[in-house]
Amino acid sequence: MSQELLAPLLWLIPAAPLLSAVITALLGPKLLKYRSHIPCWSALAVSFAASLALLVLLPQQNSGAASGLIPPPDLVASPESESDAAATDIPASVSALAAATAADKPEVVVYIGEWLSLEPAPEKAIVDAADTIPEKNRQRAGMRVPLELRVDSIASIMLAMVTGVSLLVALFGSGYMHHDPGYPRFFAAVSMFVFSMCMLVMSNSFVMLFVFWEMVGLCSYLLIGFWFRKPSAAAASKKAFVVNRIGDFGLIMAIFLIWTNFGTVDFAGVLGNPDRIQAIAATNSGVITLICFCLFLGAMGKSAQFPLQVWLPDAMEGPTTVSALIHAATMVTAGVYLVARCTPLFVLAPQAQLLVTGTGAITAAIAALIALTQTDLKRVLAYSTVSQLGFMFMALGCGAADPGLATMAVTAGMFHLFTHAFFKALLFLAAGSVMHAMGDVIDMRRFSGLRRALPITHWTFLVGAAALAGVPLLAGFWSKDEILAVLMAASRTGEHRLFFGSVLVVASLTALLTAFYTFRAYFMTFWGPEKFPEEAGHHPHEATPIMAWPLRILAVAALLIGLAVGPTHLFSNTLARTTGLTPFEAHFHLDVMALSVFIASAGIGMAWMLYVVMPKVPGKMAVVLKPFYVISQGKFYLDEILYVLVVLPLRGIAFLSTLFDRLVIDGLIDSLGTVPRVLGDRIRSLQGGVVTAYAGLMWVGLVVLVVICLGIS
Amino acid sequence: MPAFNELNQAAGLIIPEIILIATVCIMFLTGPFLVSENGSSPAGLKHRWGALAVLALLCSAFAWLKAPLTDGSVGPFEVDAFAWYVRGISLGAGFLLTLILWDQTDDAHAAENFACLLATLAGTSFVALANDLIGIFLGLELVSIPTYILLYLGRADWMSREATIKYFLLSIFSSAMVLFGLAWIYGVAGTTNLASIAERTHRAIPGFEHGMLVVAQVIMIAGISFRLTAVPFHFYAPDVFQGVAPSASAMLSFLPKVVGFAALLQILPLCAGADGIAAWTPTKNQAWLFTTLALVTMTFGNIMAIRQTSVLRMLAWSSISHAGYMLVGLAVATEYGGQNPNEASGQAALMFYLPIYGIVSIGAFAVLAAAGTRSRPLRSLEDLHGLSQTRPALALTMAVCVFGLSGLPPTGGFLGKLNLFVAAWVVNSQLSRTLAIALAANAVVAAAYYLRLIGLMYFEAPKTILEPEPRPASALAGGICAVSTLLLFASPQWLWNAAAAAVGLVTA
Repeated sequence: MSQELLAPLLWLIPAAPLLSAVITALLGPKLLKYRSHIPCWSALAVSFAASLALLVLLPQQNSGAASGLIPPPDLVASPESESDAAATDIPASVSALAAATAADKPEVVVYIGEWLSLEPAPEKAIVDAADTIPEKNRQRAGMRVPLELRVDSIASIMLAMVTGVSLLVALFGSGYMHHDPGYPRFFAAVSMFVFSMCMLVMSNSFVMLFVFWEMVGLCSYLLIGFWFRKPSAAAASKKAFVVNRIGDFGLIMAIFLIWTNFGTVDFAGVLGNPDRIQAIAATNSGVITLICFCLFLGAMGKSAQFPLQVWLPDAMEGPTTVSALIHAATMVTAGVYLVARCTPLFVLAPQAQLLVTGTGAITAAIAALIALTQTDLKRVLAYSTVSQLGFMFMALGCGAADPGLATMAVTAGMFHLFTHAFFKALLFLAAGSVMHAMGDVIDMRRFSGLRRALPITHWTFLVGAAALAGVPLLAGFWSKDEILAVLMAASRTGEHRLFFGSVLVVASLTALLTAFYTFRAYFMTFWGPEKFPEEAGHHPHEATPIMAWPLRILAVAALLIGLAVGPTHLFSNTLARTTGLTPFEAHFHLDVMALSVFIASAGIGMAWMLYVVMPKVPGKMAVVLKPFYVISQGKFYLDEILYVLVVLPLRGIAFLSTLFDRLVIDGLIDSLGTVPRVLGDRIRSLQGGVVTAYAGLMWVGLVVLVVICLGIS
Repeated sequence: MPAFNELNQAAGLIIPEIILIATVCIMFLTGPFLVSENGSSPAGLKHRWGALAVLALLCSAFAWLKAPLTDGSVGPFEVDAFAWYVRGISLGAGFLLTLILWDQTDDAHAAENFACLLATLAGTSFVALANDLIGIFLGLELVSIPTYILLYLGRADWMSREATIKYFLLSIFSSAMVLFGLAWIYGVAGTTNLASIAERTHRAIPGFEHGMLVVAQVIMIAGISFRLTAVPFHFYAPDVFQGVAPSASAMLSFLPKVVGFAALLQILPLCAGADGIAAWTPTKNQAWLFTTLALVTMTFGNIMAIRQTSVLRMLAWSSISHAGYMLVGLAVATEYGGQNPNEASGQAALMFYLPIYGIVSIGAFAVLAAAGTRSRPLRSLEDLHGLSQTRPALALTMAVCVFGLSGLPPTGGFLGKLNLFVAAWVVNSQLSRTLAIALAANAVVAAAYYLRLIGLMYFEAPKTILEPEPRPASALAGGICAVSTLLLFASPQWLWNAAAAAVGLVTA
């Protein structure tokens, strides 16, 4: 498959949603109104079709002819540092990983134009700086960031998933958002989001990635605050934006570090050249670890990892469709994607990988514990999202045990990301359908027994819940199984056995909790006596066809997609064709499977016992285990802790700064401002209008000048 | 006949000025015959005279572009790059001023008005062309004397008359000072030829300054400071600017400054023993003198401008403060080391600033001329209230010109001030750094009243509703000024090259 044939596809994927966003934003409010979904639907359909075509055609791209690749800019590596690298001992498996590049790694790059081009620093400045900057860090490289679209295997998978889920969510959204006054705004923002997300996935350099990383953040802000007249929604959007800034700080630092050390910011130059990474790691072992820490900080913000997870549950203030698309299936996975994409760096930074796994484990456990007691259906799902993202990161760090596990780890994490997108979008949309029927009530204590009133919603939610809980053969089963398998493998090798062993225990327990709280939510909503809140009216209405069909399609996907691509190794084989990853021998882990079957059935069984058979017991347990219940109910008081630790001190500083600004600076400026006025009033009297006085003053001026000059000489 | 040949040769050097003067003669000689005894004249006569003035200017400009540059002439005139540049400024300003005058003057006095204007333009060029102290003084007077008539003819009310008389009296006082100073220089050097003066002073011991030469310079600078409106020789400016017609104010705000700086740049290097503007570094006396004048002038001008209620007085004070900015260029002038012609130097920055200031200043007065009417000219700031609603195009033009005056991007004014600032900053001395900082601080203070002017036009309700009187030529002049200052921001290099060539940094 030649470059020329694929290039239009690459173009189409982001261009269609961008066009739709522009059209909807310009024409929506006046012309399209409640037809605003049409551009969005068509654009997403085009993007999805193009992504699917790309997914199929990309492997046929002859990698030898991946000639569209722009050769990496002159690398600044000096011969000495390379020989240093050779001298140091690098684990053999890393070298093997390095050697396996370029062969059978299809990728397509389409060059669009120059975006940012900075000249190298002039020679003079370098000489001046020679005293202060150590030799190895001095860079003469400028920065060149072309606008390029790049697709390799991992990106093609992400694109297909993002556009597919987005299309279904957009279909559902037109029913769900029916008669909302912001209808055109919604579809403009969704189109913009899909454009940004596609560009994030397709970017070819860290700087472009950062730009679109921010763009998805912006779209997320706009959509969380979609009902911006509601104070809680406005606050939530602000919170999401601010918390994400903390992560973005890390990402920016990472980009700076990459630029100063690699002299380039494009993926080919940084990630596609293992020898160079090793050379840098050999000369300065700390720097790769530092870069990885910073990258992970960025990922923590976007993917809501502890302690930056606080924004995601609040983000449920946005329309449920938005939660389904952005805060469950797509945007929050950007962090996972970033870490997976940067595997060649993380492989050389075991400490960073341990941090990734540890953070993932803590996040997964805490979020699962919080989800146990939430009564808001969407919040349960939100915490489950945080928890599942934790699972993904848990897997991603497993390369720390043995670099040979890195590919397996990335595959597990990305596979869970992939399946999670489908069943979590399904769960959110089903929850949205419940909300729609219940007159926007989402508190599970106010309704129950909906399975007869909302049959389609009921069975699709059940499929999603089963997939999330890890019921055998469903999507979540396969991916969670791989995560547990890679954790088990990690706990058996390397020096960090104990660490990975305990993470495995945490992961298993969290999986148990996942099954439990998912089915708790399911039973509380759909079982028990039939009860509707008064907002719902007398007759709750089932989802309209435009909402029902996306639910059905996603349900089928949640049922089958794991089976279709997991055991067949379709997913892992495709992913392995990404630069920096090696194909590995995948096999079934029957022990792990047995464990997960047990975990899933135990969790579901407990939920069944507590919420269907003996519905009185949970209340009593809450009384008996009151302290634990309160902590979980209060979300571990993380918001409050952050408030005291971070927000209050900052407020204090802000207050002091305000005082300083008001009293000192303003006072200074004000008094400065009065000086000319007062002076002006004083010397006005000189300007009397009498000619003789003027002439006299000129004469005096002349005399003074003469005296001054004679005095000087 | 060598004398005849020499005269012939000299006349060949000043063809643009000869064209102007010839037109002046035609206007003065035939003008009175076209106006009847009781002062009535055929309608539209002023436009015919205006057209003749424009024609003369075009011919002059053509001759200016075609004239070859001579170097090292010993005759009365020298057409070097400096003269070429000043001539260009003078003709350009003349074109804009003619446009303003086009619909300001009345038919009966149109001939005299245009003739006086053309004469001042010729005088401006003469100062730069002259190769002799006498020539310079004649040039100065060729600007001054027609100006008196121009001011007087502009408007026939008591305010205008008082302003004209004031200007006349103080102007001859200052001319006397200049002449006195030049006489002292002659006394020291024993010659009035510029090249010979340079030779004499050059032969003196380096670093030595003749006490008499110091006094001579101070007196001459004091006299010329009147033209520049430098404090404390500025007193006439607010009264006169307020009193006379806007067309005359526009002329007064710019042409005398060109003349003054041209004369200073011609004479001062010689007094410092340098044989050209490029080779000139001010002596200690000159540096101190200009630093003091610059500091006092810009600060005083800006402070006084803040509290003005009359827009004309405000612009007069603004013009004074701009004289201060330009004096910075003289204070920090440095001998050209011969490296980079783009390198900021005080002389070049001053030459660059001059036309830029001229454009925005004339533009602002053009707007005032266009927005006022014969019965009720614009005077106070209140007259400008809400101009954006009554005359949006004029308000926009005014806003752009005021942006230029305050030195904000995207106008050429920004680049002009920036170059002056950089020129002052790169001269690595405490004095020049102080000047640079004072320049920046003054620009900030000045922004207060400039931006207030824009605020009045855009955010206040109109107070005085004037029956608009179509004055297309003035409006056109304002428009040209506004567009040129924006264009100069976009492509300033050619002007900088010309300015650098004028002060001898590069050969044109």
